[in-house]
Amino acid sequence: MATDTEDLAPYERWTRGAIQNPRRVYTGLFYVATIFFLITTLFPFYWLLVIALTPTGMLGQIGITPPAIDPGSFVEIFERLPFHVYMFNSFVLALLTTAIVLLLGSLAGYVFGRLTFPGRTPLMLIVLAISYFPPAAFLLPLFELFTGNVEVLGVQSPVLFNTPGAMVMPFSALFMPLAIFILATFYSQIPDGLEDAARVEGTTRLGALFRVIIPLSAPGVATAGVLTFIVVYNEFFFSFLMNDGQAENWAPLVWGILNYQGQYSQFYNLMAAASIVGVLPIAILVVVAQEKIVSGLTAGALKE
Amino acid sequence: MGSVRLDGITKRYEDVVAVNDVSVTVEDGEFVTLVGPSGCGKSTTLETIAGLTKPTEGAVHIADREVTTLPPKDRGIAMVFQNIALFPHMDVYDNISFGLRLRSFPKEEIDERVERAAEILQIGELLDRMPDELSGGQRQRVAIGRAIVREPEVFLMDEPLANLDAKLRVHMRTELQRLHRELGTTIIYVTHDQAEAMTMSTRIAVMNAGEIQQLAPPLTCYNEPANRFVAEFIGSPSMNTFEGVVDGDEFVAEQFSVTSDPEVHGLADGDRITLGIRPENVALVGEEDEPESATEPIVCRTDVIEPMGNEVFVYLVPGGGEAEVTTSRVDQLLMSVDPRADVAADESVAVVFDRTNVHLFDADTGDAIAHGIAPPSSEVRADDVEGRHR
Repeated sequence: MATDTEDLAPYERWTRGAIQNPRRVYTGLFYVATIFFLITTLFPFYWLLVIALTPTGMLGQIGITPPAIDPGSFVEIFERLPFHVYMFNSFVLALLTTAIVLLLGSLAGYVFGRLTFPGRTPLMLIVLAISYFPPAAFLLPLFELFTGNVEVLGVQSPVLFNTPGAMVMPFSALFMPLAIFILATFYSQIPDGLEDAARVEGTTRLGALFRVIIPLSAPGVATAGVLTFIVVYNEFFFSFLMNDGQAENWAPLVWGILNYQGQYSQFYNLMAAASIVGVLPIAILVVVAQEKIVSGLTAGALKE
Repeated sequence: MGSVRLDGITKRYEDVVAVNDVSVTVEDGEFVTLVGPSGCGKSTTLETIAGLTKPTEGAVHIADREVTTLPPKDRGIAMVFQNIALFPHMDVYDNISFGLRLRSFPKEEIDERVERAAEILQIGELLDRMPDELSGGQRQRVAIGRAIVREPEVFLMDEPLANLDAKLRVHMRTELQRLHRELGTTIIYVTHDQAEAMTMSTRIAVMNAGEIQQLAPPLTCYNEPANRFVAEFIGSPSMNTFEGVVDGDEFVAEQFSVTSDPEVHGLADGDRITLGIRPENVALVGEEDEPESATEPIVCRTDVIEPMGNEVFVYLVPGGGEAEVTTSRVDQLLMSVDPRADVAADESVAVVFDRTNVHLFDADTGDAIAHGIAPPSSEVRADDVEGRHR
């Protein structure tokens, strides 16, 4: 055997080694795959950074590295536009939506997760079906409604265009079903005895929900909350169409980034810098909350 | 004050009747146990009292106040659950004081009450622990502590000892009795363990199929069971029962007969009856514990002998038939004898029943006809028997 190996060409020897000892190949493939995924996910961020660091006049000469490094864009974005206001708007919209979704979703989750009543499953399916519709399907009627063009029994609909209501309401409606689903799964796993105990001790059903069931479902509530927050913070469609793009009219982050397009020139470096600044809060949130999110999602998946 | 009255409580689920027209009055300070096999409706009855379940029909009164539609928190009750149900996200102190904090008691009073409860239950050093750091017995004490700090009018306990190991269960049984004596609060206790029911209660309510079979002090249930179900459920090992008919002055079962005076019990020839006799009321002929009012000797073959230490259980096959494989309960007679008695497996013995402890049940309805049967002839004083007649 030993003499055989010595006679073989290096390539053949390597192949034979790989067959006899596949662990080395697996390790190698693991690194190849990991590096591939790291590059595909991280390269866009690197590219954003390259563009953001390139001075305005040299945007045509970008290579794999910036032709010159000028971090001035990160300051300029706040000078040209009140970018911090756009970010603040996004933050407020996301927080408001998350609060509404968690509050109403908890009540609905309690009902769907802990009570039995006729028609529970069909009702849950109908609620979930709402989230399957493309948001565009709701746009025209909602736009008419929020711009005061709908009259019901002689009462004109309120003009919510350019206010948070025009965005928070559709967001809440669209992202509520998923939250209800996650929360219902979690709430249904709290033993009945604990709720009974709380009620005997002196809470109402609602009190038991807030004092016992929700605290014990913290990972689920965190998951639903963080997912809603991220989705709303990044939302484009309604954010773009339900206001006129002015920071003082509750235009969110995406409007801020798009507003660096001038009529005659595109400030790509500013847009890139704004994107990086805008994505930072979410990146931090994900890093902080990721353990809870993962445990929340898998807990929902594993039980039952 | 802490009395509980149930008026015709019925609980129907879609097609099942869990509790059927149950009416009970529990006096202040009583320890009443609802006992019965799984699914007999005892827990549902308790939940109805607690307000966790709404009865389909009937009314619940606690402390002379109708509470049928009140939520659990307004009923003046505290409850200990089978799965203990401590709040896992709160430490022992917070668990015990949960109800008091909800009712906004002043901080000093909460402290004082928690301390007193902790002292009674000997859990003073556990107050800052979390429930998952406690042993089963400690958790049970905390759950009881949570119930007693609120000084409720009525305690409800739903199989609180079911999840404890055997030794701890016996220990907690005595503790609960002591607690009841110290606090004097009404306790309604649910269990499927007839030993718990017998040892702790002032009265037992034996339930089956959603109905109360008998509500009486433990010894009455034991000595004068209202029907065959109670007779077989209360007592361990349970009562021997034999199907039989009345024939002349005899009760004739399949393999043996017992002479009596059926007329005294209002029975006529051909009436179908069930004979019941507890293992300790069966005696070997010739032993010193042979009763005065013994029946005629019944020849049996001994099958299995189970020495328990303080007594010996002997499985007998009446009629002296072959003691082969006779696992069917119907034709076996269980006898409990003194450990010094001279018995061995697979031999022929003669046994007698103690007449005063032979129970007669109607074979069709299962209702008790008599506890203690009359001797055969009229030489007996009939009123003596009449006295035990129900």
